[in-house]
Amino acid sequence: MASAVANPRPASSGIKRLFERFPFLPALMILAVLLALNGLYQPRSVSFIGMTGLVKTYLALIMLAIAQTYVVFAGDIDLSAGAIVSLVNVVIVVLMEQWGGSGLSVMAALGVGLAVGLACGIVNGIVVAALRLQAIVATFATSIFFTGLALYVLPVAGTPAPAAFWRTYGGRFFEIPFVLYAVVVLAMVIYVLARTRLATQLLAIGDDSQAAFQSGLPVTAIRIRGYALCGIFAALAAFCITGDTASGDPLVGGKMTLFSVAAVVLGGSALSGGFGTVVGSLIGALIIGLINSLVFFVGTPSEWQNLVQGLAILVALMAGVLVGRRARA
Amino acid sequence: MPKLKLSGVSKAYGATVALKRGDLEIDGGEVHVLIGSNGSGKSTLCKIVAGSVRPDAGEILLDDQPVTVSGPQAARALGIGIFYQELSLAAHRTVAENISLPDLPMKAGIFVDREALASRAARYIALFDGVTGDGFSADATVETLRADQRQLVEIMKALAAETPVLIFDEPTSALDRAQVDRFFDILRDLKAKGRSIVFISHRMDEIFAIGDRVTVIRDGETVGTRRIADIDPAGVVRLMVGEQDELAPPASAPPAANHTGAGSVLGVKDLSGRGFANMNFEVARGEILGFGGLHGQGQSSVLRAIFGATPPAQGAITLNGKPFAASSPREAIRNGCAYVSGDRTRDGVVHGRPILENVTPIHYLRDRLFLARPSALRDKALPALQALHTKFATLSHPINSLSGGNQQKVVIARWLIDRPDVLLLDDPTKGIDLSAKADLFALVRKLAEEGVGIVLYSSEDAELLNNADRILVFNGGQVTRELTGTERTRYNLYQAAYEAA
Amino acid sequence: MMNATLLMEFARKPLVIALLLIVALLVLGEALSPGFASAQQILRLLIVAALLGIVAAGQNLVILGGREGIDLSVGGVVSLSAIIAGNLMNGMDSGIPLAVLGCVAAGALFGLFNGLGVTLLRIPPLVMTLGMLGVLQGLLVVIRQGIPSGRAAPALSNFVSQPFLFGLPGIIWLWIVIGVVMAWLLGRTVFGHRIYAIGSNEQAAFMAGVPVKLVRIALFVLSGVFAAIAGICLLGYSGSSFANVGEQYMLPSIIAVVFGGTPLSGGKGGYTGTMAGAVLLVILQSILTTVNIDESGRQMVFGATLLVLMLFYGRGRAMRA
Repeated sequence: MASAVANPRPASSGIKRLFERFPFLPALMILAVLLALNGLYQPRSVSFIGMTGLVKTYLALIMLAIAQTYVVFAGDIDLSAGAIVSLVNVVIVVLMEQWGGSGLSVMAALGVGLAVGLACGIVNGIVVAALRLQAIVATFATSIFFTGLALYVLPVAGTPAPAAFWRTYGGRFFEIPFVLYAVVVLAMVIYVLARTRLATQLLAIGDDSQAAFQSGLPVTAIRIRGYALCGIFAALAAFCITGDTASGDPLVGGKMTLFSVAAVVLGGSALSGGFGTVVGSLIGALIIGLINSLVFFVGTPSEWQNLVQGLAILVALMAGVLVGRRARA
Repeated sequence: MPKLKLSGVSKAYGATVALKRGDLEIDGGEVHVLIGSNGSGKSTLCKIVAGSVRPDAGEILLDDQPVTVSGPQAARALGIGIFYQELSLAAHRTVAENISLPDLPMKAGIFVDREALASRAARYIALFDGVTGDGFSADATVETLRADQRQLVEIMKALAAETPVLIFDEPTSALDRAQVDRFFDILRDLKAKGRSIVFISHRMDEIFAIGDRVTVIRDGETVGTRRIADIDPAGVVRLMVGEQDELAPPASAPPAANHTGAGSVLGVKDLSGRGFANMNFEVARGEILGFGGLHGQGQSSVLRAIFGATPPAQGAITLNGKPFAASSPREAIRNGCAYVSGDRTRDGVVHGRPILENVTPIHYLRDRLFLARPSALRDKALPALQALHTKFATLSHPINSLSGGNQQKVVIARWLIDRPDVLLLDDPTKGIDLSAKADLFALVRKLAEEGVGIVLYSSEDAELLNNADRILVFNGGQVTRELTGTERTRYNLYQAAYEAA
Repeated sequence: MMNATLLMEFARKPLVIALLLIVALLVLGEALSPGFASAQQILRLLIVAALLGIVAAGQNLVILGGREGIDLSVGGVVSLSAIIAGNLMNGMDSGIPLAVLGCVAAGALFGLFNGLGVTLLRIPPLVMTLGMLGVLQGLLVVIRQGIPSGRAAPALSNFVSQPFLFGLPGIIWLWIVIGVVMAWLLGRTVFGHRIYAIGSNEQAAFMAGVPVKLVRIALFVLSGVFAAIAGICLLGYSGSSFANVGEQYMLPSIIAVVFGGTPLSGGKGGYTGTMAGAVLLVILQSILTTVNIDESGRQMVFGATLLVLMLFYGRGRAMRA
């Protein structure tokens, strides 16, 4: 009776279904174009060594984009992600130095670093989900606090990381660069995490938090877990950046926060929550990296590079939002 | 011993009392119908039982034990499951995930057990085998489903809780006959297993088909419980409306349609669009044209399309004899078209803002104002509000300080400062009290007398019969019958609404 | 009883909270460091607050307009405007009119881009203005490399720091004028009422004939204009512009709006509160610089204090009503 005129959405075509299942397809296409262009202007950049270098430089941003994705899933945001990176960076560098820089002390310091990231994430989660403060302003406030902590641990940049650490990060095992092992492990972790109950619950909350609550989900606890996961990945990002820069800097992550948000959007996730993939964010971070290197390879005068990068990222962001919407509409 | 007993449960949101005194007693193995007009407090009562609304007072007994339902999670632990009228689905998740959302089956402590998820979904989808419609599958995302299919998912989700107490708050509003029949079979089965079921519906036939007892709520208070076997539909209606009549009786019989000489103010020719097709009608100056039929048969869509609120439809519209195709409400308003939505929270009220600002937006547009001088606006707003007998403290009070009926009066008053030529009323009395309805229809008739052409869609038959000069009955997005003169009877309206499209 | 409830309600108003906190902080500052609350010091604080407050005026409008309205590009526009102004006036009073014109035009242009992206392409404001921030930062590098950094005209420096009328510098008067204009705009014009309407209930505003997209574009344009004006004043304050001088205003402008009682969800609040919010933020920062603790402690206390203050303001609705 009543349903006779209910408006069914047009039957999904093959392409639409594909976009539904893999919302990062537009990003993947942009990535392919950028790779081709990079190869065109600098054939060596798409070689094995070139790609390894790219991954080595941008693995930190990839990690941070992944971190950001888990809170964005639930419709939240973490503007302190970069500050967590800074804090963990100085904590592990200082501890490695104090504990002598041996392999064991490096591992111990990394353990502490993970715990610090986790703790920061939980603080964010409590502030946003339990105290119900607005995520944008609250995580901005915690970012100031975390930056203060980082400055307390290491007031000025410069303390070097022990060679055992950065040689590993930049080194090779069985002729294969370490970062590629890291990427393989990361891929497996992402695959595993995508299948957890937490990921599904975070997305359900992002879809409609009130509905999720009424369904009986412990919404507050789940959002806190999302922030905790974000903290852990921010710590991993800090490990990568420490491996890349080989030193401690209490402000190193500050600039990365907004790029992590941009990477998430580039990857096809909705900032309003409920929709997106971690793989997309990974691709988004790579897009930012490839744009930066392409701008360099095409021979843009150095003072114009930032502007061209900024414009390219803006265009990619807009294209990503538009294509994603068109494909799903 | 009743399975579940509520006594003296109440809930107020600020000044608005949603539930004054809710009493309810449900036995095991019973389908207990809860009925009452829109806004009478049924949903609030259900949500209190399900833990998603915190009651201000009252007692809940489960198996004779007093319990505190501290949240939806606690409710499930106590064995209470619910179907939410507004649905509680995650749009981007699959059907299977939604069915099991409250407790996703787990593997190894952290993973979703995909097999268990699929088999549980299959079990509940199988219950509706054959009536789920095209495109329904366990791995379809909910956003791709039709309204009726989403409602089925919410039903499956409620059933999957496997709780001894199950609440269904209007679960059948979008379902077709076959789906409803299947659902009722399931309910009978659950009843036989001793479950306690609360069922809310506005359709009298459904209530008598499935109910064992009926409890009536009026204006936030439980007025009585009867055995279905001991009462007839008329009796239920009497309980629902109380001593008052459904509507204040019209001062005189609706005027016969003698507007043929007055000329048409709104003409619609071969209009088709999303949710309706082949509309052809004319509204004369001073005429009240009624839209009837079951809810959601395209009445609203036609009105919104004329007003320019939905993307352009095919066909031709004339306003005052001139071609008219509004691409936005703004354009429609400038041309003298007015529209009042029944969903005032969504389409009408500017929440948290003063009453004055809620009365003046149309005036701003039609007079192309730049400055908003309070004294001048007050002089314009007061007569408009008084014409509807609106009760308010001052014009600077926020609109949310008013009752629902008075809020709707404020929203309607905004059209009275600059007189429109055509007034489109889209179920304007939804969820407002009887006296507000009477004030509103007195005004509508006065406007008609003054020469405004009016289209009235109402989900309440009495409103149409008492006020419309002609009634077009909608069914399946088409006009299936036109009732004029003495044909305008409740019987004809009902028959035309229910006949197969 | 009645009076007590009225008093409670009064004390819950964001503006009142902010004013009470300002007084409390001034007392605290005076206790920690005598002379903190002297007239001269307060004047200095107000000048700094005016710079933030002017940026926050535009931010306030965008946030009021709802639909997750936010402008992250204001920091970039402030920096850009400071540079353009410095180069156009280059230390000469005669260059001021052209500088003001150029900066306001540039601010409006970038605001227009933001507004068009947000409305016509329906890009979420956070994404759009974040991308625009990147563009602006790139543009800054280009401009800075191409031409030498300019200097503020003497008249502009005097306007910002020297007494102008009744002992108050021009920038304070400018801020007061902006405050009055904003109050008038929001309360006494159709445009103001339309801002609240789209921020509170966009669908209802649309159905009542409000040109939703036009209004929203105008808000972003105004945000760019206010940021540009703040950039000119900032040049006058610091004498010459330096790299990314405006970045310090991006998130604080949002915090000032929130502390002023305009929630990020929009449709509610006003600029008077935001002005108090800006003063509050500046005093808080100033106290922390007065106190003898190092940078790390200062930041930690600042961050923690912000969080505590946020608890005073509208927290989100509980899931269970």
